[in-house]
Amino acid sequence: MNSMILSYITFVYFFSFLFYLLMMVMGKETLGRAGTWITAIGIAAHTFAIALRWVESYRLGFGHAPFSNLYESLIFFSWTIILLYLIMEWRTKNRTPGVFVTPLAFLAMAYASFSPDIKSQIQPLVPALKSNWLITHVITCFFGYAAFGLSFGLSLMYMIKRLEKGNKGRSFIRFLPGKGILDELNYQMVVIGFLMLTLGIITGSVWAHSAWGSYWSWDPKETWSLITWLVYASVLHSRMVRGWRGKRIAVLSVIGFACVLFTYFGVNYLAGLHSYAKT
Amino acid sequence: MKNQSKQGNPIWGFLCSVRLTITLLILLALASIVGTLIPQKEGAVEFAGSLSPETAKLLFSLGLFDMYHTLWFRFLVAFLALNLISCSVNRLPGTWRLFKASPRPHREKPFKDLPPDRSFLASGAQNEVFGALEERLGKRWGRIRKKETQGRYYFYGEKGRFSLFGFYLVHLSVLFILAGSIVGSLSGFEGFVNIVEGEQVDSIALRNRMGRMELGFEVRCDDFEHKTYPNGMPSQYRSRLTFLENGVPVYKADALVNHPVQYRGITFYQSSYGTVAGDRARLRIERTGSPKETTILEVKVGEAVPLPGKGGNFKVIRTEADFRGMLGPAVQIAVYPAEEKDGELRIWLFKNRRLLQERFPPQMLKAKALNPSAFPPYTFHLEALESKHYTGLQVNRDPGVPLVWTGCFLMVAGFIVTFFTSHRRFWVRAVAVQGGVRVDVSGTSSKNPVGLERELDHLVASLRDKFQARERKNAS
Repeated sequence: MNSMILSYITFVYFFSFLFYLLMMVMGKETLGRAGTWITAIGIAAHTFAIALRWVESYRLGFGHAPFSNLYESLIFFSWTIILLYLIMEWRTKNRTPGVFVTPLAFLAMAYASFSPDIKSQIQPLVPALKSNWLITHVITCFFGYAAFGLSFGLSLMYMIKRLEKGNKGRSFIRFLPGKGILDELNYQMVVIGFLMLTLGIITGSVWAHSAWGSYWSWDPKETWSLITWLVYASVLHSRMVRGWRGKRIAVLSVIGFACVLFTYFGVNYLAGLHSYAKT
Repeated sequence: MKNQSKQGNPIWGFLCSVRLTITLLILLALASIVGTLIPQKEGAVEFAGSLSPETAKLLFSLGLFDMYHTLWFRFLVAFLALNLISCSVNRLPGTWRLFKASPRPHREKPFKDLPPDRSFLASGAQNEVFGALEERLGKRWGRIRKKETQGRYYFYGEKGRFSLFGFYLVHLSVLFILAGSIVGSLSGFEGFVNIVEGEQVDSIALRNRMGRMELGFEVRCDDFEHKTYPNGMPSQYRSRLTFLENGVPVYKADALVNHPVQYRGITFYQSSYGTVAGDRARLRIERTGSPKETTILEVKVGEAVPLPGKGGNFKVIRTEADFRGMLGPAVQIAVYPAEEKDGELRIWLFKNRRLLQERFPPQMLKAKALNPSAFPPYTFHLEALESKHYTGLQVNRDPGVPLVWTGCFLMVAGFIVTFFTSHRRFWVRAVAVQGGVRVDVSGTSSKNPVGLERELDHLVASLRDKFQARERKNAS
């Protein structure tokens, strides 16, 4: 039931993307407003479906938060992206980032719902996952990933905006916010992501300390989250201390997001302790 | 501030540079990538086997099979710590000066090029306006400083001074975590022990160093419980443990996954489990002849048992819960014929003989050691073998953990101070003009210029509202 609703939401987010895109290409704000409405309806249904899945797991007799495997994590990842995006849209009153951010949510949903390798059934928790840290660890990590996802979208926008140069007013690029604003927004997303990733790593170590006997085991997922952390730490140092702005920060943010993706998906191809996140 | 090092020696300048920080962060990241691509420690043996001997030798000499514990990786981390300390020390005087600075309230520079929406006109008598301003601003910033000169009033206030020290908190937190890991590796240990149900141990195997370590007390596993869900997925592993001092039970506790047990500063984690053969077996012995005779015997390892019909006796000498990891339960018996000169005959008996027949040619199974009918007229069958669970416990002591958690806490606190607070200074100028008093508001911030603008907008709006409300009150 919940996974059926969730697979429909994939298309809802695809339509949000279409409307945001049409808004930018045609320069009609009305289309953007429709995009916002569709996204808002999408996340309302999305929230409902996650809650429903939670309730259903109790009905099956082994109730647990819906954060226990790759399917559930993708669903939650997409939810955090949309939530953060809508907050950003509401704060900045600009809808163009929707074009670059909604595809991430759409792709995550599509991967979760339609990949043959991913099981959408509700499974009981294996002993290692039975911990109060599951919820805090997953929420902090995924808000971190989502903020880095938004930072990635904003960095792409920055690079596109750089192409504008002299021919102002003609192409759709003019609807993108100014470079200064994009840079500032990107920085804010990196800060949020970095704080959340740090919290995610800390909650993960506290958990690992009670589950595996060591707060740090150099498990590939741990190590890759550290690599991501190091990359964003250098982004923040180069910006805050050396005063880097603009293109270099945008490029580093894209590299950072590539590390996030590897931490999330790539690590599954390496042997390690986080095996329950694979399928 | 980053140019301060110019006057010092170049080595100090190098150590203090943020370029070094970024280089080290990236180097550590790259090294860690290598560490995740090459299997480490336990996994390395198999991986090394798949490489050419030269490559394996090269990787081994670089320590890439246990990279995170090599000298060079530790050197990188130590270098980062040194860089971080140098940077912090180098910036301290500058930060301190900013922290202690008390700018003059009557500065004109902040008001240069002031946008028009940062000023408003307050009607009313001059000293009344000044008084109201002082009261209002005092409420907002606590301590304010004021100055009157040439008929103009100036106020200065500030907030978030402590924010200047946010990054020290973050740097300190990293040092705490590193210190915690050093303390852990110097005075802690990581070990492992398997305890069969009902048995007790007084020492454990160490992981990183070879050899065993005495615990100084005994641990007994009273029971191991392995629960599954209806679909067969594991649900819970539980070891009921008893801790004994000189043989006297003093503490009982259950170790579960995610719920370790601590005793005398040593933590026991439920880590794995398995089965071993117990010391009881049930054998079926057939004697050919007329009449054919079948006997079922319960035997204990090491106990000599007479064969039915006085053909001699036998005993079970070894048991295996899973022979060679694939052939299932097996026992080895030694048979002693009635005439002593014939010596002893050893035979392996398998519970699932079919497993054996599937894997080995029939001629091989006729060998005496594997042939259950090797001692005629008897044929031996293993009916059942008692099996016992053992629990695998990870046994650790890490006195560095409190330092690490302190570091984690400081890091989060430091981030919040560094990212979400800023040192903001405000100047307010009140000048008597025709028709009232013009109030100008200006400010600077150590970071987050957007946030400062928002705060200044709020400040101007709230002051303006205040004065307009007063006017309305006066008018009525």
